[in-house]
Amino acid sequence: MSVQSETPRRTASPASRARRGSFYVVTVPSIAVLLTLVVLAFGAGWINPYDPLKQDLIHAMQGPSAAHWLGTDDLGRDVLSRLIVGCRIAVIAAAEATSIAMILGVPLGLYIGYRGGWWDWVVMRIVEAIMSIPGIMVAIVIIAILGLGLHRAMIALGILFSTSFLRLARGVVLTEREEIYVRSARVIGASDSRILLRHIFPNIAPPLIVQTTLTVGAVLLAEAGLSFIGLGVQPPDASWGTMLNTAASYMELDWFLAIPPGIAIVLTVLSVNLLGDTLRDTIGRGITVGVNPAIPVARFDAAESNAEAGPRSAPRRDDVLCVESLQVVVSTAGGEVPVVTDLSFSVGRGETLGLVGESGSGKTITGLAILGLIGTAGRSTHGAITLNGRELRGVGQKQMEAIRGNEVAMVFQDPTTSLNPAFTVGDQIAEVLRTKKGMSRQEAWARTIELIDRVGIPRPAERAKAYPHELSGGMAQRIAIARALSCNPSLLIADEPTTALDVTVQQEILDLFRDLQEEFGMAILFVTHDLAVAADVCDRIAVMYAGEIIEVAPVGDLFARPLHPYTAGLLSASPHEAGRNPPLPTIRGSVPRPGSWPAGCRFSDRCAYTQAQCEMRIPLAETGQRMVRCTRAAELNLRADK
Amino acid sequence: MLRLVIQRLLALVPLLFIVSVLTFSFTSLLPADPADLIVGQQGTPEQYAAVRERLGLNDPIVTRYVHWVDRALHGDLGTSFFNSVKVTDAVMQRLPVTVSLTVVAALIAIIVGLAAGIAAALKPRSLVDRFATLGATFGQAVPNFWFGLLLAAIFAVGLHWFPATGFTPITQSPWGWLRSVTLPAFALGLASSAAIARQVRSSMVGVLQQDYIRAARAQGLSRRRVIFKHALKNALVPVAAVLSFQITVLLGGALIVEQVFAINGLGTLAITAVRRQDIPMIQGLVLVMVGLVVIVQLATDLIYGYLNPKARPS
Repeated sequence: MSVQSETPRRTASPASRARRGSFYVVTVPSIAVLLTLVVLAFGAGWINPYDPLKQDLIHAMQGPSAAHWLGTDDLGRDVLSRLIVGCRIAVIAAAEATSIAMILGVPLGLYIGYRGGWWDWVVMRIVEAIMSIPGIMVAIVIIAILGLGLHRAMIALGILFSTSFLRLARGVVLTEREEIYVRSARVIGASDSRILLRHIFPNIAPPLIVQTTLTVGAVLLAEAGLSFIGLGVQPPDASWGTMLNTAASYMELDWFLAIPPGIAIVLTVLSVNLLGDTLRDTIGRGITVGVNPAIPVARFDAAESNAEAGPRSAPRRDDVLCVESLQVVVSTAGGEVPVVTDLSFSVGRGETLGLVGESGSGKTITGLAILGLIGTAGRSTHGAITLNGRELRGVGQKQMEAIRGNEVAMVFQDPTTSLNPAFTVGDQIAEVLRTKKGMSRQEAWARTIELIDRVGIPRPAERAKAYPHELSGGMAQRIAIARALSCNPSLLIADEPTTALDVTVQQEILDLFRDLQEEFGMAILFVTHDLAVAADVCDRIAVMYAGEIIEVAPVGDLFARPLHPYTAGLLSASPHEAGRNPPLPTIRGSVPRPGSWPAGCRFSDRCAYTQAQCEMRIPLAETGQRMVRCTRAAELNLRADK
Repeated sequence: MLRLVIQRLLALVPLLFIVSVLTFSFTSLLPADPADLIVGQQGTPEQYAAVRERLGLNDPIVTRYVHWVDRALHGDLGTSFFNSVKVTDAVMQRLPVTVSLTVVAALIAIIVGLAAGIAAALKPRSLVDRFATLGATFGQAVPNFWFGLLLAAIFAVGLHWFPATGFTPITQSPWGWLRSVTLPAFALGLASSAAIARQVRSSMVGVLQQDYIRAARAQGLSRRRVIFKHALKNALVPVAAVLSFQITVLLGGALIVEQVFAINGLGTLAITAVRRQDIPMIQGLVLVMVGLVVIVQLATDLIYGYLNPKARPS
């Protein structure tokens, strides 16, 4: 399990490096654009080559030239100068509207969030009402009341955008209000305003910064839009929006007029938005870029580990599944790290093999490797997986899809997450029957109800129409089992199928597995960390440790006389074996993570019997029905400490 | 489903009430005196007093509000102060124009947004993903009216594929309608398709990592089926909320894009009304817009309920 959960974290490393790379690629130009904008806005008076309002009708509508870099407009005014004045308008507009929005929204949001009750209800209904009117229409109404012009339009936009600041501030207060430090401040008698200012307000800063950048971008677009339709900046004053208004009238004569102001708007808004995205990502993720240390990578040579492979019996004739010297690697920042090595086992028809080990030993990824579902982060590099006499590694996607479900199926740990929440459970079983067995809708539905009945769910016809969230965990797992068995597979992989369930339900599910195996005759690969559970349902047990099998034995033999010190340790640590007193013995240390395995015996650093010979790689040695990976197996007389 | 519809409809009552109060009281704040506007410079004090009486301006504000709501419920939104045109007639005449522009733009936004978002989510950090993400970021920074100008310059003025201005009603000529609505709808839909694409990508990436996707694959269902049935239905749950908001945005954006293509829709009506301080017209426009938004929200709520069984009332 932990291999699974670790995989994304470790593979995030190259991604986070890429993110850090794009961090600079994105933020540096964005900041450069915005700095240029501000410099032009403040320096417009000195920088401008011409008076932006000075008309020169003789030289109207001229394209770019040495005298007028961006040409002249319909009244012969210099486009570059007007564009630069437009920078000033943009900065004023953004600053005005955003501060009004913040000044109106934040205190009001803090107040109603903190007070709650009647005030909160009324203000929030008004906010909802405003938000159900298209923003531009709200602005238009407010402009109708206030009158035309840049500053009035910006007040209108400020009022409009204050709703998002209000909701943000209110949301933060609602979560912080019940935090313990705020309650204790209240208990010691701090005043409301002090609590709001000293304790709650600082928490708003990070989302507020993000919201501000988003608002600036939206204000710039809205200002340009309002000026474009003649309700913002009034002619002859220049803003990017009014310049585009002019350009629209002369589109057929000189389309170039539309280019400079448009690009100015796009560049500015793009820079602000990109900055906002970056801020949201960094603030949201707590700026964790590049913290993961590189994992030391144990180099593995395929040929070498082949040579280490121990003696192996020829596949038995009735083997459903036969895995031979399988190696699985996952890719990380430091290269590919093996998580499963030299793995060999087989499961016969009607047999249940338990694959037992602690978290991180590679059990789950083994199950997924058989199905060819490790995902993009990992792959099996060598070895053989033979199912019903057919080699599965290297089989094409279409063929593999045909094999899954029909020949091998899997039941997962948590039934509440392994069933799709958007479809009824009956649909999910019937879909498999229709697509894999070619049944008609009616046939599939009838068979679905039979299957649901078979896994011991009362009133199956009714339950088939339930959604997963309407069922208990135990019942959902029965559904998952029914779906897995729907196509009568010869191998069922059960990955910790009872771990997520209530203890009282566990036994029922285990009994169900036994009953179903008797009826359907499939082989079961039962993955679990719990030896007691394995003892209950399995015929044989394979113990995994750090990506390899260290012992295989029939259940009775394994419990009576473990050959590997790790197996003995596991048996001692199992609550079913030890009495209540003294406390359970534990194995010191923990399973080493993939990539940091000892070079020799992987258990050597936790083992009480380590000797010099344990520094060598140890092959899996076979004696009769048992296999063990320990050089001292014959001399140690191990048993579980009781 | 019926219960959901009723539940949603009931929730609308307070919303509509507050919107009507807001609209009515805000427009009562207008600086212009309606009677003054109607009578004009040459009017006598007697005429002025008569108009005030006729408009009910001497009544208390609550009475005026009740009368206004009562008439509005009967489909009468009053008469324009300027040309004695019925507000209801003026709005209804232009409504199909703006609505058809918004609907086509929404369709474009949904199709483009879904396609780009899914393509990006299937291969995170691939070239396709980077291209789609870049496009979405750009799309949200481009003003719709400027994009409209560019489209008009290229495809209407330059290539003559589409008319540069005007609008043909669908009842008059479906083909002409499609030609006249294409460019404005693309101009309008760009930013929304970008917003939808971003949401689709992020929720699809999240859903594809879920256990039930791996379980469906383990059951031997094809990749295509798992992506387009099992993953998509779950990924669309948050998209429904974004879509509802985006259609409101599109409706507002249509008012501006109409100006680029000289389309005589609600936008022109609103801008003229504001310039003339035509109170009944502004009130009527706001109410009609809210009505449209409410219909959209109701529809998206139902879609939401269909996509997410947990949201259905049981």
